[in-house]
Amino acid sequence: MEKVNIVTQAQPWVDRFPLTGRYTYGVAGERFFRELKENGRFFGTRCTACDVVYVPPRLYCLRCFAPLEEWVEVPSTGTVHTFTVVHQDLDEAPLPTPEVIAFVQIDGCDGGLVHRLGEVAPEDVYIGMSVEAVLKPTAERQGGLTDIAYFRPTLR
Amino acid sequence: MKREVAIVGIGYAGFRPLTPDLSYKELVFEAATRAYAEAGINPRTDVDSFISVAEDLHEGTSITDEYVPDQLGAVQKPVQTVAGDGIHGLAMAYMQICTGQFDIVVVESHAKASNILHLGHVTAMAMDPVYTRPLGVHPLALAGMEMRRYLDESGLTHEHCAQVVVKNRAHALSNPLASYPAVLEVEDVLNAPPVAEPLTQLEVSQHVDGAIVVVMAAGDVARALTDMPIWVLGIGFANDAFALDSRSWAQAEYARLAGQMAYRMAGIRNPRATIDVAEIDDTFAYKELQHMEALGLCAPGEAGYLVAEGYTSLEGELPVNPSGGSLGVGHLLDASGLARVLEIVWQLRGDAGQRQIPDVEVGLAFGWRGLPTTSGAAIILAN
Repeated sequence: MEKVNIVTQAQPWVDRFPLTGRYTYGVAGERFFRELKENGRFFGTRCTACDVVYVPPRLYCLRCFAPLEEWVEVPSTGTVHTFTVVHQDLDEAPLPTPEVIAFVQIDGCDGGLVHRLGEVAPEDVYIGMSVEAVLKPTAERQGGLTDIAYFRPTLR
Repeated sequence: MKREVAIVGIGYAGFRPLTPDLSYKELVFEAATRAYAEAGINPRTDVDSFISVAEDLHEGTSITDEYVPDQLGAVQKPVQTVAGDGIHGLAMAYMQICTGQFDIVVVESHAKASNILHLGHVTAMAMDPVYTRPLGVHPLALAGMEMRRYLDESGLTHEHCAQVVVKNRAHALSNPLASYPAVLEVEDVLNAPPVAEPLTQLEVSQHVDGAIVVVMAAGDVARALTDMPIWVLGIGFANDAFALDSRSWAQAEYARLAGQMAYRMAGIRNPRATIDVAEIDDTFAYKELQHMEALGLCAPGEAGYLVAEGYTSLEGELPVNPSGGSLGVGHLLDASGLARVLEIVWQLRGDAGQRQIPDVEVGLAFGWRGLPTTSGAAIILAN
């Protein structure tokens, strides 16, 4: 088989696929984000059989497959379960200021949220650190994950 | 009675960081031509079914599966696409042959990673659009968080992870197919620019383009085709939860369960004593350690020490990734697991050249679908 062996003759066709999607929150997500937006509160769902509280909430237990109907208000505080300091953006370009991203286990829950940490230097973050959510002002909240501005070390 | 199944041919093409000269279809055609020549078959008359392992967003098209038949000799034949790692495709082929309806089944997977201008954007599209993607964070953050929690729970250190990079890129020196051979020191890895701390740039496997085609056949058909069938003793696959709030950040549960399924089928009670060579997903350096432990090749928290003392080096008791793994060979996206299988097949046939391990009878290959998935698949092969 003859192959292309002159680099200028190895041509690609370039095209983009710009698409916009709608991602339905569903019953559980709708309630979670409405409480967050309107009242600044976190809610989860409980499976009594498994003794598990899910945050974010869902209508089904992934351990026993039971439908979940019990809603519980949970605190907006938690513990850093693990974290990383990210040095690049989605285009693989270096970030001017590296960002701390953590999985925050919400107090009293089995679940939690992946989110940014703020008001803390990367070198001061540790596994087990107590943190609290900082919400955007009510007027700026849109009913989505970014209504939480970030988590910060709990003020004492 | 359960049918025996063997690999009777395996072909590859590419394994280069850039392939501007060849379309992915031509890469697949080249790999398939090698595989069919090795098996001594004509795809138009001898193959009963074809399986492709591919991911639409990696290809930049939807209905990727519909593109498969032409370059594989599969037009007007049964064709299906499996989403997952390449070894998931082998599992489907195995089951198809076990039905008795198919005697020869072909599995294809490929990577044209160099055509993906920003893989981070593609992987970001795989993250939960409501609960994770809005952060706009590079998906490598998930690997950094997983690595930190794994090290915290296992008691292993960053140095242990760095040893994996040193080992695998050194192994790649004796693999002509490897694109990233290097002589490195642990300090080089630790001092490389951080991408998602603690993960550094040298702990993330870099991509290559390539294609791999595997021909599988039922017992007697396999024996008639080749003097050196490579038998499938066991195969398994499993997932953990997808939700980041409900999966383990430290343990590779998918690998543990996939391994258990494969060992049970193969009747293996003590994998460490039985397996002579292993090729295990090392998309990130810590993944090799995490996967070794999950696959029962050592105790939890032991993998780093085994790597450090040379137990898993080419000359060691249980060589892991003699090919160089994804860190040394290059990461082949969905085809990465088949690259692991390629090396095990060559080792079992005695065709591994400079890096041939003596007296190899049983080999293990394990593939992971990559971020942000919890899909894993394991296969046990014997000569």
